[in-house]
Amino acid sequence: MSRRGRAYAPGRPGIGRHLALALLALVTLFPVVLVVSTTLKSAQDVRANPFGLFSSFSLENLDTAWTVGDFDSYLLNSILLSVPSTVIVVVLSTMAGYAFARLPFPGRTVAFYLVVFGLLVPFFAYMVPLYFQMRSMGLLDSLIGVNLVLASTQLSFGTWFMRAFFSDLPTELEQAGRMDGASEWQLFLRVMVPLVTSGMGALAVFTFLQQWNNFLVPLLYMPGGGYRPLTLGLYLFIGGRSVDIGPLAAGTLITILPVVVLYVVLQRQVTQGFLSGAVKG
Amino acid sequence: MTAAPAPAAAPPLPEPRRSRRRGRRERSGVSAATRRQQARLGVLLVAPAVVLMAVFLVFPVLNAVYYVFVDFDGLDTTPPWVGLANFTELAQDRQMWAAAWNNVIWIVLGTAGPLLLGTGLALLLWGVRRGSTFYRVVFFLPYVLPQVAVGVVWGWIYAPTRGWLNRGLEAVGLGGVTRGWLGDPDTALFAVLGTAIWTATGFVFVIVLSALRNVATELVDAAMLDGANYLQRLRYVVMPQIMPVFLMVTALTLIGGFAVFDIVFVMTGGGPANATEVLGTYAYSNAFQLSRISYGTTLALVVTALAVPVAVWLNRLQRRASGEGLGA
Repeated sequence: MSRRGRAYAPGRPGIGRHLALALLALVTLFPVVLVVSTTLKSAQDVRANPFGLFSSFSLENLDTAWTVGDFDSYLLNSILLSVPSTVIVVVLSTMAGYAFARLPFPGRTVAFYLVVFGLLVPFFAYMVPLYFQMRSMGLLDSLIGVNLVLASTQLSFGTWFMRAFFSDLPTELEQAGRMDGASEWQLFLRVMVPLVTSGMGALAVFTFLQQWNNFLVPLLYMPGGGYRPLTLGLYLFIGGRSVDIGPLAAGTLITILPVVVLYVVLQRQVTQGFLSGAVKG
Repeated sequence: MTAAPAPAAAPPLPEPRRSRRRGRRERSGVSAATRRQQARLGVLLVAPAVVLMAVFLVFPVLNAVYYVFVDFDGLDTTPPWVGLANFTELAQDRQMWAAAWNNVIWIVLGTAGPLLLGTGLALLLWGVRRGSTFYRVVFFLPYVLPQVAVGVVWGWIYAPTRGWLNRGLEAVGLGGVTRGWLGDPDTALFAVLGTAIWTATGFVFVIVLSALRNVATELVDAAMLDGANYLQRLRYVVMPQIMPVFLMVTALTLIGGFAVFDIVFVMTGGGPANATEVLGTYAYSNAFQLSRISYGTTLALVVTALAVPVAVWLNRLQRRASGEGLGA
């Protein structure tokens, strides 16, 4: 693709272009740098010179956020809310995606529209009645309830995403498997699923990020605050109004660090998830 | 996708046509026993997803439609039927119109900004080899961060005393315009918008960049030989080729603009003096702070309904694009 690019802008991209890109990258990264720098300053320095960059070094802000600011339990809760809901999404999407792509069964069309209905209706539209439904089901403030809601917000996309992977597999595979006497269940589990693991991986990473970043679902359905995740903890921390910037920066860093690491290491999978949501037909 | 972190906003309505064809073909070459087995497995595999979506999506959506026609206060098990009263109130609600106007500003600037900046970035990076992965990762990063965290940091940048924006302005001799950007009703909405644009630009950038990779180089070469300058090549050769993807990302960003909530809620909560109130935050505060549950639900549904024409347009674009083999 770089050859194509060169045709558009002949010769090597000039030093000017690299300079512009570097500058823009710096501007883009600045807020993130600000978080890291503020976290790593001493508490006293933060008070005297709150937004100066890297003017001192200390881990006391991290320590305060962790011990006094409850960010240790917020971190645990974030994991307890993101991991199970991601597993549910990946497993159910793989199952349903396979059935919708390869298996004829009665009611398939209706079931399909029911499951992908969520692609058309944003969570926002039904968040209010869902609150009262959760209340009457006794699921408010429960890990199970909120995990199920989180899973349901991503399941439509997941099913649609996995279905595309299964649709692309050649039919010869099934025929060969059947010749060998495999049952339909074995065919699914032993032949088909291993062929879409890359898709499942991309879906898992993408879904995990969505759940980790989710703010509205725990805000609404964790009113008692039993299992507050990082996003909610951070929000309440700002609302505290005593606004202690040092620990707040540390809390922000704890919230974004897993996201940044996961994204940088697995950027291909993450981008694939976002892109397929937008461009693929 | 200005602000709303649900990025896979509206993938196209998939068509089951293709698989049905495959089903028919299979039926001809497959024994009755296999077909029975397949049907049983199919139902089994789909059941958990169907149950989950029926309970946590379809049921609350139907309930939402019901709430709109009653006056539910959160306690009454048989709320009184009020017909269209919620809609007539909505039409006469000044605060609602003010919020809707903010949404309009948000949609226009929150779409135009990321489109221009993201496309510009993509064009700048197009053809650059060294460090291209690094730049891609950096420019997309803001989009994957949690909005709450983004809101916190930008709050510091906009801080009235010693905030980075004010400092920067003082440094270039514009000390006169410094202010508490989020606390001033005249600037608060635009300050939040600035943050949203910072996050959404990466999204546009990545999609446009992937589209640029499919641009036919022979045409660009030919135009260059014909003496077309950079802007002419861009206007007449490059843009027409990436147009389908460009329109898609426009539609996605537009849809995000209707439902904007998180970033506004976190940064200003709709204040100061309702200056940043958008339909999303207004619906939230009605339902959950004022216990006007039916009215809040009506607002949320109206916000959703407003985005439907754009979503339909998007769906048509996506189908056409996939028909032409323009994929991600």
